[in-house]
Formats: sequence, C-alpha cells, structure tokens
Amino acid sequence: MELYLPIAEMSVNVWLMAGLGVVVGFLSGLFGVGGGFLMAPVLVALGIPPSIAVASQAGHVLATSTSSVLSYGREANVDMRMGTLMAGGGIVGAIAGVEVFRILRLLGQADLMVALLYLLLLGAIGGLMLNESLRALLRTKQGLPPERPKSKRPVWLYSLPYKMRFPRSGLYISVIPPLAIGFTVGILAALMGVGGGFLIVPAMIYLLRMKASVVVGTSLYQIVITTLVTMILQAVRNHTVDGVLAFILLIGGVVGGQLGIRAATRFRAEQLRVILAVIILMAGLQMGLTLFVPPEDPFILAPTNG
Amino acid sequence: MVAASLPPETPAPYVENLPVAPTIAPDSLSTDLTQNRIEVSSSFQGAKVILYGAVFQPKDQPSDVVVIIRGPRASMRLIRKTQVAGLWLNSRPVVFEGAPGYYMAASSQPLDRITDFSHRRLLGLGLDYIAMDTSRENKVVTRYGVKDVVVNGLESDYLDWRRAVIRLKTKAGLYEDNPLGVRFVDQNLFRAEVTLPSEAPIGDYTAEVWLFRNGQPVGYSEKTMTVEKVGFERFVFNVAHRHAWLYGLACVAMSMGMGALASRLFRRG
Repeated sequence: MELYLPIAEMSVNVWLMAGLGVVVGFLSGLFGVGGGFLMAPVLVALGIPPSIAVASQAGHVLATSTSSVLSYGREANVDMRMGTLMAGGGIVGAIAGVEVFRILRLLGQADLMVALLYLLLLGAIGGLMLNESLRALLRTKQGLPPERPKSKRPVWLYSLPYKMRFPRSGLYISVIPPLAIGFTVGILAALMGVGGGFLIVPAMIYLLRMKASVVVGTSLYQIVITTLVTMILQAVRNHTVDGVLAFILLIGGVVGGQLGIRAATRFRAEQLRVILAVIILMAGLQMGLTLFVPPEDPFILAPTNG
Repeated sequence: MVAASLPPETPAPYVENLPVAPTIAPDSLSTDLTQNRIEVSSSFQGAKVILYGAVFQPKDQPSDVVVIIRGPRASMRLIRKTQVAGLWLNSRPVVFEGAPGYYMAASSQPLDRITDFSHRRLLGLGLDYIAMDTSRENKVVTRYGVKDVVVNGLESDYLDWRRAVIRLKTKAGLYEDNPLGVRFVDQNLFRAEVTLPSEAPIGDYTAEVWLFRNGQPVGYSEKTMTVEKVGFERFVFNVAHRHAWLYGLACVAMSMGMGALASRLFRRG
C-alpha cells in the first residue's frame, strides 16, 4: 500500500515502513537503545531525504522509549534524578548540536561529519563492548568467576564538587559528570540524528558505574526527554518532521518494542551485549565505508532547505 | 521544495526574446491538457496527463511539434565528491538558480532535426538548453586589461556541474528528453504524455507547445497546470509551516501517547 508523505513530498510503501519500525523497535526494546542509529541509514537508503529521515524517526524513538520506560519504570528501574540531570545537559547539547548541524549542512559537510562520527564512535564503542562481553562470556564458559572491575571508579570522579546522592543508582557523586555526559551525548545525538542510548549506556556502565539494574531504564528516560526537545526544535527550526512518516514508523515501533522487552528476559545480559556490540560495529562500519568506497556518481544533490 | 519560498514571477520569459516572434500566428495551433489541476492526496503516486492539440497544416508542408513542460523553479545545491588522502570528501556546494523543478521536452522527432542550435537555445528546447545559472559563483575580475569583468568561478568545470544536475534530475524522473514523445494521431491531431513522478514538485507548471515548419517556429500555444496538495496532505503541510510549534508539540504528543498506549495494552494482554 503506497502512501504520499506530506512533508517528504514522496510516496512510500506503508508495510515496508511499518516493518522497519517493528524490526528497529524490537532491537530497541531488547537492548534499551533508541534505535535511531539503525533506522536513519535504512530510511536514507530507501530514498527519504536525510534531513526528514533524521527528524521524523525522532517520533519512533520517542514512542518506543516512552513505552519502554513505562514498562521499566513500573519495576522501579529508573533513576529519575540521574536521568533528569543528564537530560538537562542533553537539552543544552541538543540545541547546540542542531545549530552546528545547520551550519555543516550549509557548508555541504553534514554527511561527511555523520559518516565520520558513525565510524569513530560506533566503531570504538562496538569494538570495546564486543571485546569486553566476549571475554565475560568466555570466562563463564570456562567456569571462572566473572572478572572483577580493575579499579572501582575513576578517582577524579570523586574529587569533583557539587556532590549529590543517587540512591537508585547506588552513587554519591558530583553532578558534573552526568551533566557533561548528557551535554556531549546531546550534541552528538543532534549531529547524528539519534537518541544517543548507545553512548549513554556504556557511559553509565563503564564511567559512572551505576547499578546495572537501573542503567537501561534510566537511559531510556533520558532519551525520552532529549528526543522530545530535539523533535520540537526540528519541527520549528527546520520544518523537517513528517508526522505521517513518524506515525507509520512508530506504530511498528511500539509493537516491536514491546516484543523486544519480552524477549530480553530470555537472554543473559552478556549474550545481549555481544549481539548489540556486533550490531553497533556493523552500523558504524557500514556508514564509515562511504568514506572509502568511490561514489557511483561524484555529484550529489544537497538539500536546499535550512 | 516549498512552493511559498519560490520567486513569485512565472517562468518562461523566452518568448519575448524571440527574434521571429512577429511571424507566429497563434491560431495555427490549438492545444489542451486532459487535466489542469492535479490533486496530491495521500494516495498520490504520480500522475499522467495527456496534452493534445490540433495543427492546421497544408499537406505538402508537414510541421513538427515540440512540447516543453516546466515545473516551478527551485534553486538546487550540488556537491561534488573528491578524493583527498584516500577519503571521499564533499566539496563546497554550488547553488544553481532558475532551473525548473520539473522539465520535459517531447517532440515529434529529435530536436536537432527540427530546428537549429540558436532556436533551441533561445527557446530552451531540450535538456541541453535549460536555463540555469550559478550567479553566486560569479566574481568580478580584471581580464585582458578590462576592469569589472564578471566571470564564473567554476570556469571550465561549469559544464560538468551542469551536466550533473541534468543527470541526477533525469535519474529521479524529474527531467526528460523524449524525442518521439509527440505522436501524430492523424495528419492534424497530435498528443503527448506527461508523466509526473510522486516526487514532482508542488506548484504551477506551464506547457509550451511550439509548431515548427522548415526549422522556423510558426505557432505557439501555452497552457498551465497546477500540482497541489489537497485534503489531509494540505492540512498537515500548512500546519507544519504556519504553526510549527503546535505541529511539533502535536507530533511529540502523538508519539508519546502511542508509546504509553502500547505499554498499557501489552500489560493487560
């Protein structure tokens, strides 16, 4: 069934788009990531203009994250205080990021930046996660006890001022690291058009060393707030949010998301992390490859609006 | 892309510059379109419009017909990928102005057999002669001792860039040269098919029909056609542009609402 999109000004196949929503939503629910880093490249490959793909998929990210955060929230797995603090940093970062993105697009360098960021960030994070989780899996197979973290937490994290208690996360630390992480992720999220879960989750696990049980719920909560702000900003500043496209994607997404949450209970955390690491690594390499592969046509039509 | 941001003047000023214009007798040609308003609704997947017309021609002097369809003008930004240290990087974008968002040239035989270069160029017949310029690349220099000469910064690369615009637009189904697109149904009656893809720009289109005899334009007729969004599509587009805050909030509310609904449904189910 073909449907004409009022903002993208082209027609798309509804079932294809809803199917994409289901698949990405399933992965979001499974891993507690927004899924934007998977959806944007696919939408662009299907011919949706990149600016519209990035802005409209925010609806999908928002819906699946809301649905997931409510499911996780009921089980008291969301650290509201930590999440709100990070989101505060994230909103400031997102506003800065949207402006940087506008300038880059006018210079014609936006897709270079996106490709580089995907390659470096997803490549690095995917590689680290894969390495770490494979080692953990191997140890359990050999019957050894899980590896203990080498040092407890970075010392400088404790020497910073403005300390605050985060009982749900089991932390008593300065507010500066969560704010800084939120800000960085906000900028990157706006530049790459993603929610930023794949950055927040490792930062919470490896840097802040939050209690593992609250990591996924809290990152989702933070993603909801940041994405909400980004979506409104995109609609107001760039007029690139296609409500119809967003609706189709998110209908598939919420169904897939709930299925993903159910499936998540059947896997062990280390196994999930191996799979997520491979997916992140592949997405990064796939985007990064565009820098090395000779283009089919050296000329490209760039978006004119914004 | 956005109809409202286009310059208000209508395209096709070419007739005025035409040296042979006085000899044209408009009554020797009569044309019409099967549709002059194309509604873009949610089921829009492109449209096919037939242009038909009649010529009053003597039997011993057969004439040729050229049909030019031009969509609303839109500026385009083009980027070239260049390899720097093994990486494919983007150049600075070049802005093309004045080119139509849709262009089709249909004729009863290849254009170079119908008329000469200067007519094709003057009237903008065929993809090679679409008027577009890169005025933002222009700079004022001193050449051969002459001050204030305006030259194009792209220099000899200009043709490569121009050809790229046409190649990319053709690939998207928005530009077309169809040397056999005008078919004579009988001696005096002809028809041409205009295929608009679903990506066709929204706005006003013109259909220029030229009648050529012995390489000279002897007849001209112009019809207009509008492609516009209707119903829900129009509503969404208007709200998104006129009440952007409201639209953004509505999209956010819809997304979060659907998410909350799903989590509630699945809990019970």
